[in-house]
Amino acid sequence: MHPGAWILWSLGAALVTMSTTNPFYLLPVLGAAWAVHAAHRTDGPQARSFRIFLTFGALTVVTRTLLVFLLPSSVSAGAIVSALLEGLRLAVLLTVFGTFNSVADPFGVLRLAPRRFHEPALAAALALSIAPRTIASVARVREAQRMRGIHIGRLRALPALAVPVLETGMEEAVTLAESMDARGHGRGRRTRYRPESWDRPSVATAVAGVAGAAVFLVAMTRDIGLSVSTFPLSWPEAMPVLVLAACVLALPAFLTPSRS
Amino acid sequence: MTEAVRFEDVSFQYLERSDFALRHVSLAVPEGAFALVCGATGAGKSTFLRAVNGLVPHFTGGIFSGRVLVEGRNTLEGAPRELSDVVAFVPQDPGASFVVDRVEDELAYAMENLAMAPATMRRRVEETLDLLDIERLRDRSVRTLSGGERQRVAIAAALTPGAKVLLLDEPTSQLDPQAAEDVLAALQRLVHDLGMTVLLAEHRLDRVAGFVDMAIGCLGQGRVIAGGPADILERVQAGPAVSRLGRLLGWSPVPLTVRQARRMAQQRGFKPGRVPQPRTPSQGPVLLEAKGVSAGYEGTVVVKNVDLSLRAGEVVALMGRNGAGKSTLLRCLGGLRRPDGGSVTAGGAEVEAGRDAALCPQTPEDILFKDTVGEEVRATLQAHGRNDGAPKILDALGIGHLATRHPRDLSAGERLLTAVAATVSTDAQVLLLDEPTRGLDGHTKERLSRFLRGYAAEGRTVLFASHDVELVAELATRVVMLAGGEVIADGAPREVMAGSPVFAPQTARVFGSDWLTPEELSGSLE
Amino acid sequence: MKDSLLRRVLLLVVNLLGAAAFLWPFVIPSAVGGDGAHEADAPVIFAVLMLCLGALLFVELGRGGLGPKAVALIGVLGAAMVALRLPGFIAGFSAMFIIVLVAGNAFGAGFGFVLGAIGTFASGLFVGGFGPWLPFQMVAVGWMGMGAGLMPRSESWRLRIGVLAAYGFITGFAFGALMNLWFWPFATGSSALGWVPQMGPGENLQRYASFYLATSLGWDALRAVGNAAMVIVLARPLLGSLDRAARRMHLEVGV
Repeated sequence: MHPGAWILWSLGAALVTMSTTNPFYLLPVLGAAWAVHAAHRTDGPQARSFRIFLTFGALTVVTRTLLVFLLPSSVSAGAIVSALLEGLRLAVLLTVFGTFNSVADPFGVLRLAPRRFHEPALAAALALSIAPRTIASVARVREAQRMRGIHIGRLRALPALAVPVLETGMEEAVTLAESMDARGHGRGRRTRYRPESWDRPSVATAVAGVAGAAVFLVAMTRDIGLSVSTFPLSWPEAMPVLVLAACVLALPAFLTPSRS
Repeated sequence: MTEAVRFEDVSFQYLERSDFALRHVSLAVPEGAFALVCGATGAGKSTFLRAVNGLVPHFTGGIFSGRVLVEGRNTLEGAPRELSDVVAFVPQDPGASFVVDRVEDELAYAMENLAMAPATMRRRVEETLDLLDIERLRDRSVRTLSGGERQRVAIAAALTPGAKVLLLDEPTSQLDPQAAEDVLAALQRLVHDLGMTVLLAEHRLDRVAGFVDMAIGCLGQGRVIAGGPADILERVQAGPAVSRLGRLLGWSPVPLTVRQARRMAQQRGFKPGRVPQPRTPSQGPVLLEAKGVSAGYEGTVVVKNVDLSLRAGEVVALMGRNGAGKSTLLRCLGGLRRPDGGSVTAGGAEVEAGRDAALCPQTPEDILFKDTVGEEVRATLQAHGRNDGAPKILDALGIGHLATRHPRDLSAGERLLTAVAATVSTDAQVLLLDEPTRGLDGHTKERLSRFLRGYAAEGRTVLFASHDVELVAELATRVVMLAGGEVIADGAPREVMAGSPVFAPQTARVFGSDWLTPEELSGSLE
Repeated sequence: MKDSLLRRVLLLVVNLLGAAAFLWPFVIPSAVGGDGAHEADAPVIFAVLMLCLGALLFVELGRGGLGPKAVALIGVLGAAMVALRLPGFIAGFSAMFIIVLVAGNAFGAGFGFVLGAIGTFASGLFVGGFGPWLPFQMVAVGWMGMGAGLMPRSESWRLRIGVLAAYGFITGFAFGALMNLWFWPFATGSSALGWVPQMGPGENLQRYASFYLATSLGWDALRAVGNAAMVIVLARPLLGSLDRAARRMHLEVGV
């Protein structure tokens, strides 16, 4: 799946989420995010964080609601519902982010950087690819120091761990910089060897996100039923068009990207 | 014949140093030549190589005079990146030089920088993959590659823009013999089939010496000369074992390969003297005992049921192909890792890392963290409750004069000796080393060899894993051969090594399995 | 990275705008307030603004290119940040800050900012922390690095480390206060602790102070102490390594 598709989908879903507190629209988005995560999650540290985002979201709902009770005078059904809905909105937003984290490939995302940002993006990609080596270096150094009698446990022994790891890293940085320089880095205009292609599932995913956002944006400008009246407390409207637009966000969950 | 590289009265000084790294160097490398760049560590090989593509002086800074022309282009007139389509550079540690994750994309990086058309890029990637025989690696992550594969990918990545001159900084120093062969074979192909000009800086000369057309010797103090391989190797006092043999026997011209040595021996009707007495196996007390040791990772068993006793006074060499389990066995012997089966004991009790046995790290940089060499040794001593003894240890290794120097400013060989000093300061009875001579020049190897022999003679044991056949032949009193995690041979070097097609030292290849080193052979004639 | 008056001015302007983006709850007039749905617009707008600012800063600092040396250094140091982020970050303290502090001090303010931002971005991508807080976190950590570069690099190690440790301590709190500022309106909404656009900056500041005390103070104290401790123990050897690397790489240490 083209990483740009995930970006557009997530942006769209986020926009939909932030534009309303109506649970009839928010809950489908939540469901869509969950479904997409379940269908397209990658293996890796990013994917495991979905749970953290969910927890964070749940926490927000709880905190918001509890805070209402701080001022006894302001406690009312309306206030509680309002807090619940605002919390829900944030929780759904966090879930959308959680999904993006678990489905998008970081290197793919970085490769999309426009030319102006080639160097920062490259640096970020380098940080990601060098990190496993750094972690391995820490393990090696710790063991080697232990062998000669220096146990890295207390704060005072930290230089024995930090200095070798950093020095090795610095030497590798010199090698890397030399190699990049010798291979023409910074020469000016660049071309791309194999730009990512937009296959049909990617286009569909992107469209789902963009279309959903567009519908809700129109609704915002027309001020149609996006907010929920809490004072006085009344049942929210559920406009079918908007509900549908929110549900469409689940489309990627049913698509299988072609193995590129 | 046109020249690929030309140095015209080049002098260069690094900014904080008062000595010259290059001094009035004038030489030429003809197009299509396979040139060896040799010399002691610190004599300027790396500097010389980097002067060819402009990293010296553009990247390093410093005071530069003279002119360097590469394929007619002056390195002073543009940054190194301007020369990326003319000259390709491969650093010593290719794993650190990769920019992206996939091999195929790595190959394209240099071409993307040159704004080459996608169609051209695709074609060149295919060509280069075939050239270096790495087509099956194209989808792999660079992190999953073996040493030899990494080296070849790095070469490919530098070559894709179409450079005609290739610079390599010690490409085989970190590789096992098989991988080194693969890389050298690839370089041969580049020179013979494509007419590329290759400049190769190396310490490991046993195989390379026979391949090259010319040599560039870095003699120290900035002096660099070019000439035929035999002459230059003589001047820098380096070379394969057969060259040493030729010199000792007074042969002229000095042979560079085993084949040349055999021919010369035949032509001269040379006959060795009396076979030396084999060294008697050590009868000293057992310092470390491994019984039925098995160890593995994630389901694969790497070490199978190994029995090994290390006696005082021995210098034991552990040999075997890559993946045979040497490193894992060493870690078990050193107490760094508990074996999955069996036991490793010292004096009856389970071996304690750093007390009974000390393993010198494969990368000396892993333990160096102090500001001076002396402090580094003292750090170990203090961790063991002692405060004195540092000068003695440093002198034993021949680095006493470096006591106030910063370990990171030293050459690779000096760093290794510092690490050995820091390890030896634990005063463990058993010293273990994993590939200690990787990337070391002959001089440092000699110093280490002498030290290890003396260390063992004091009633301790030394066990070292190595691919360096000549070192083993010279130093080891006993050789243990590992294959598939099992011990398949354990005995005197003459028995274990000399008959093997892969592990025989060059002297044995020429004169038969009775002879291990040139010194032994020449000594027998007296 | 080279220096110029125009760049310095631009840096100042961009950072002022960035500060405004953080401090909007105190500054936005009540006109923006209204019913619940629109209340959310302001933060979204400012998030977008933040992103643009970050982009602008990047582009400006990178004018003329970062170059292979800076990219390689950011890659290696950023990798260390990614590796160090995990332990303890939830509790506020993160070993990752020590990298930004010493590298900013060794290589200059411009480098410090870029490293802080890119390293935070990378660790967000890697650890799966790519959340709506990320742009703010990038800028906050970037500022931490930038400030470390502005700390005087005196000849006396004692002084240099002392100043850096104090800086680390203060920024431990400042970072928390800033990130919490971002979090505050979302967490509290229109409750008694929350941001009320109708009220003036004074009242809102009071409310924020209560929120801060209740939530973030503990974590921030931990972080402040952690930063100072790491600097005192590690800064000297690490700075030594970085200074040597700067010399070996023939780096020009600018703003």
